Amino acid sequence: MSVSVEWSSWRVALAGMRDALSLPAWVVGFGLIGVGSLARDVGYPVEVAVLSTMLVWAGPSQVIFFASIAAGAAWSAIAIAVGFASLRFLPMTVAILPLLRRPGQSVWMQLLLAHYVAVTAWTEGLRRLPHVPPPQRVAYFLGFANTCMATSSIGTFLGYYLIGALPIPFAAGLLCLTPIFFLASLTAGLRHRGDAAAIMLGLVLAPICDRFIGGGFDLIVAGLIAGTIAFALRPKKAAP
Amino acid sequence: MTPVITQPIAWLDGPLWPYLALVLFAVLPTEIWRWLAVAFSRRIDPDSPALEWVRAVATALLAGIVAKLIVSPPGALAAVPLALRVGALVVTLAIMLFDRRRVLLAVLAGEATLIGGAYWLLA
Repeated sequence: MSVSVEWSSWRVALAGMRDALSLPAWVVGFGLIGVGSLARDVGYPVEVAVLSTMLVWAGPSQVIFFASIAAGAAWSAIAIAVGFASLRFLPMTVAILPLLRRPGQSVWMQLLLAHYVAVTAWTEGLRRLPHVPPPQRVAYFLGFANTCMATSSIGTFLGYYLIGALPIPFAAGLLCLTPIFFLASLTAGLRHRGDAAAIMLGLVLAPICDRFIGGGFDLIVAGLIAGTIAFALRPKKAAP
Repeated sequence: MTPVITQPIAWLDGPLWPYLALVLFAVLPTEIWRWLAVAFSRRIDPDSPALEWVRAVATALLAGIVAKLIVSPPGALAAVPLALRVGALVVTLAIMLFDRRRVLLAVLAGEATLIGGAYWLLA
């Protein structure tokens, strides 16, 4: 929906909230149900599961964290894998900050805004923010992103308690939501054959590395090999 | 097979260990990139080759996570045969390749395949 320059910050934030509830907030909320159950599987308290959603705010990192603990990976390997999976936030945040920057904005405000950068808030933000008047964007973005975070926290909490109580097909369905949603959003972001190669090679190499490389470093090795090949295969900059 | 979970670091172990582990090994390695972006956002070119490589590795890593969750799945998902788990992914991928804006439809179709198939096979 369109936002008027005259609106108060609260009204703009409500507009952001409403846009989030039109679909994106539900998608991320459902996507994080699986994280709750993964946290439960390793015996961590429900508070840690919900806090991971609010503080990490990156589904893939949370999945790597809890699934790696379940697999017995070394802490150093877990930190490196999480770090690599989150590296994309560097270019993503660099890309979205100029849209939100205002004259005189404090570093703390920028750090707060950067914290909300994750797949959904970022793709939707890049798409919607240019249509919001610049002075209103921070309020709009915070309304939008906090709504997504609220539904996701509820999803994580529900997942923690729900999965064990469900019939197996539904429990399996909720656990499968994470890989299915990741694959769908990866494909939605395809830009060129380099991206396609990265996805296909990553899918194929990870299970192979899993068999031959121990200590929890298999995922990093698979990602580095597949990503580097995909990087070499990307179209050279001809047309911008 | 029940793998042993990663044990707490002995000298830091205690009732608060899960919170500490979350901050040290999940929050910090994630948040650092957002902080660096704030610090350098005026200087980094989002189209530089280094960032292109980073993006490619990150994409491959995410795809790798998908494959690992399907091949060696957690909990109840392991009760569903591998062929059905892969089938659900293929349905999602096929719809996304047909129309990349249909994220919701692709997710729901993949889920329907898995849950429906599981009921049919396990009933």
